[in-house]
Amino acid sequence: MAKVAREMVEKAGVNVDELLELLVNNAAAELTTFYYYTILRVNLIGIEGEGVKAIAEDARIEDRNHFEALVPRIYELGGKLPDDMKAFHDCSACPPAKLPKDPTDVKALLSVLLEAERCAVRGYTHICNITAGKDHRTYDLALAILHEEIEHEAWFSEFLGEGPSGHFGRRTPGESPFVSKFLHP
Amino acid sequence: MRTFTREELRKHRGQNGAPVYFAYKGKVYDASASWHWRKGKHQVIHEAGQDLTEALASAPHGEDLLARLPVIGVLVD
Repeated sequence: MAKVAREMVEKAGVNVDELLELLVNNAAAELTTFYYYTILRVNLIGIEGEGVKAIAEDARIEDRNHFEALVPRIYELGGKLPDDMKAFHDCSACPPAKLPKDPTDVKALLSVLLEAERCAVRGYTHICNITAGKDHRTYDLALAILHEEIEHEAWFSEFLGEGPSGHFGRRTPGESPFVSKFLHP
Repeated sequence: MRTFTREELRKHRGQNGAPVYFAYKGKVYDASASWHWRKGKHQVIHEAGQDLTEALASAPHGEDLLARLPVIGVLVD
């Protein structure tokens, strides 16, 4: 734990235990999303599915990066991950992004992906709101993740024909242009 | 439609098998089946069994998300 780092956040008026619960719940959402997106990704087959594979893979790896980036901050603030992985799954801030009943329905798969990203956008917006101006490190981290979740949402929304995302795609899968500074090679 | 006083609403906080209800703008919603309201809490800080009308103002979502939940009553003072 980073004792003084935690004290600074407490002194700024943030309930650190509540913040930690939010960070753990969102870390759970990231890791479970990585797992469920793996299943969604392998089911994106056929001509229709082929077009979505790459974008789903980018989001999948970046969500894993988000989990990796959150873990150090949780421990810095004096928190920890649950000892039991099943309990970790069940505390996820977002519902499991499960494969739809018809796994060949690419639109349905996209809707699951989109809803997962929208949940994440709301979750990190909330964390940004409560840490802005008070917990600079968590805010910086949550904001970085939020940037990427917003891009993920825009990608899937575009695929569903809701409008242009304005993005030009990643250069490499899992590039994490915003979160990468928090990842240690 | 069923009516709830604030005291009655407080009994539905998702504890000991009780359903998860909350009120918003006079309507009582059943969030028992919602992943976001497991154990009667939402986003760590919001507890069920109360009127959350004011709380929504600072939420990272609008009231449109409440359309996903069944309305099962009205709140009466």
